[in-house]
Amino acid sequence: MNRLEALRNAVGELLDKVEGVIALRNKSGHVAPHLFREREELNGLGLSPKYPLPATLRLIQNEYPEAKLGIVCRGCEERGLIEMAKRNQVELGNVTVIGLACTADEAEECRCAKPYPSVLVDAHVGERTEPVPDRVAEELRQKEVAERLSFWRSQFDKCIKCYACRNACPQCFCPECTLEEELWVERGRVPPPFPSFHLIRAMHTAGKCVGCRECELSCPAHIPMTALYALIRQEMGEMFGYEPGVDLEDQPPLVLPMEVEI
Amino acid sequence: MYEPKIIAYACTYCSYPGADLAGTSRIKYSPNVNIIRVLCSGRVSAELILRTFREGADGVLVLGCHFGDCHFINGNHRTAKRVPILQRILEFSGIEPERLRLEWISASEGERFAHVVDEFTDTVQQLPPMRQVLG
Amino acid sequence: MEYRNVLTTCPYCGTGCALYLQVLDGSVVGTLPVKGHPISEGALCIKGWNAHGFIHHADRLTKPLIREQGQFREAGWDEAYNLIADRFSSFKSDFGPDSLAVLSSAKCTNEENYLLQKFTRAFLGTNNVDHCARL
Repeated sequence: MNRLEALRNAVGELLDKVEGVIALRNKSGHVAPHLFREREELNGLGLSPKYPLPATLRLIQNEYPEAKLGIVCRGCEERGLIEMAKRNQVELGNVTVIGLACTADEAEECRCAKPYPSVLVDAHVGERTEPVPDRVAEELRQKEVAERLSFWRSQFDKCIKCYACRNACPQCFCPECTLEEELWVERGRVPPPFPSFHLIRAMHTAGKCVGCRECELSCPAHIPMTALYALIRQEMGEMFGYEPGVDLEDQPPLVLPMEVEI
Repeated sequence: MYEPKIIAYACTYCSYPGADLAGTSRIKYSPNVNIIRVLCSGRVSAELILRTFREGADGVLVLGCHFGDCHFINGNHRTAKRVPILQRILEFSGIEPERLRLEWISASEGERFAHVVDEFTDTVQQLPPMRQVLG
Repeated sequence: MEYRNVLTTCPYCGTGCALYLQVLDGSVVGTLPVKGHPISEGALCIKGWNAHGFIHHADRLTKPLIREQGQFREAGWDEAYNLIADRFSSFKSDFGPDSLAVLSSAKCTNEENYLLQKFTRAFLGTNNVDHCARL
């Protein structure tokens, strides 16, 4: 039984218990998030390319906070759900999660450190594959400061300030975004002058970014910004012992006071 | 040798009086530093620091109360976490993390204030001017 | 509770990026890029990302408005079109066809733009036709 068949069965079973399941629908070759309500719709179930389904869940829960829903989650989406739940963006009490493991190719493309879900999952689909090290981030780590500067300057100079990185990010949910604040990011300047726009975003995703790469995938200028976020994630792990998207109970370090003896 | 421009954000309850004490005690310290008083070091956001760099500051000092002394109980705890993260972000994006420093200075530490400012000025002087970095 | 994505083409410029309109219970609540689409390759610019913004906007005009003595009043489509036709004809006969000009829009399709230039040249009889995206 291939992955799609297995997923179809899992979603079909879940549909008997919940009001709807959020998954991908393939309609004439184009894949998009969809809320499946009936078993008959499942012929159109899709697998890839991935979309940030937790963001869809948030959208639906905004209107229907009480609805019993199911959601198909890859590893990154599960991590995203955990971080969103910590910040009260989704309510996991009424949500059933079907885990979908990524294939080795998908994990390779995403340079994914954990290409399978394991925390919130109620049903598993697909075989677990090995984590893939983030080579872009590692290369960057090896570089001298001046080399990094010229690398990022050449990348950030391509920015057309479309805010796609922010719009695509399931973790970016602030109703008022600092990146639209005139004080920090001047209007009418494209590319946004270094280091304002991109480093502000890097700071704001610190402790939230789970490395789903949605920002990078939707960037028209192909800026590999997740490499920067991955390095920050590693550093925060060392500094505070915090890894986003691993445990529902772990509180993000930036919202907690320090544990110090006075 | 160029004269670096250094902006120090000093919290109004500890570090600013500390700087005051350095002045009233006639302690000599580097004239490169420009002090901006803020209500709490926790108020110094990453955006503010980044903008300070973008406006051409060669170094940014964030000065706050020692742990336990904060007027707002744990405002400086936030700074204590925020600044190291921002230092790493600067480092990974190609700006020397030495340009940003966090120090705790109480109202009685005038001498320490002068020492920190002098030392920081020396450190920043070794680095290329920010205007050159930002080109 | 109904959520689906409707595949469409971005209305803003001539590039023809594909986008999904996120439809929740019959109202458009957001935009998503179309991954793997041959033209936009999963990306959108800032206009595309906000292409849903005007659909249910409170300021959007849904009925023709006719100005009489400096005041707008709502009118029916027949009345509005008749007025346009009358005024175009009277301008053309009173001042000649070159007193008229037509500005087309990037929000229209190729075919609509073609029709408009045909209308301008063949019916109005002037070459004064241009397009807002021809900057």
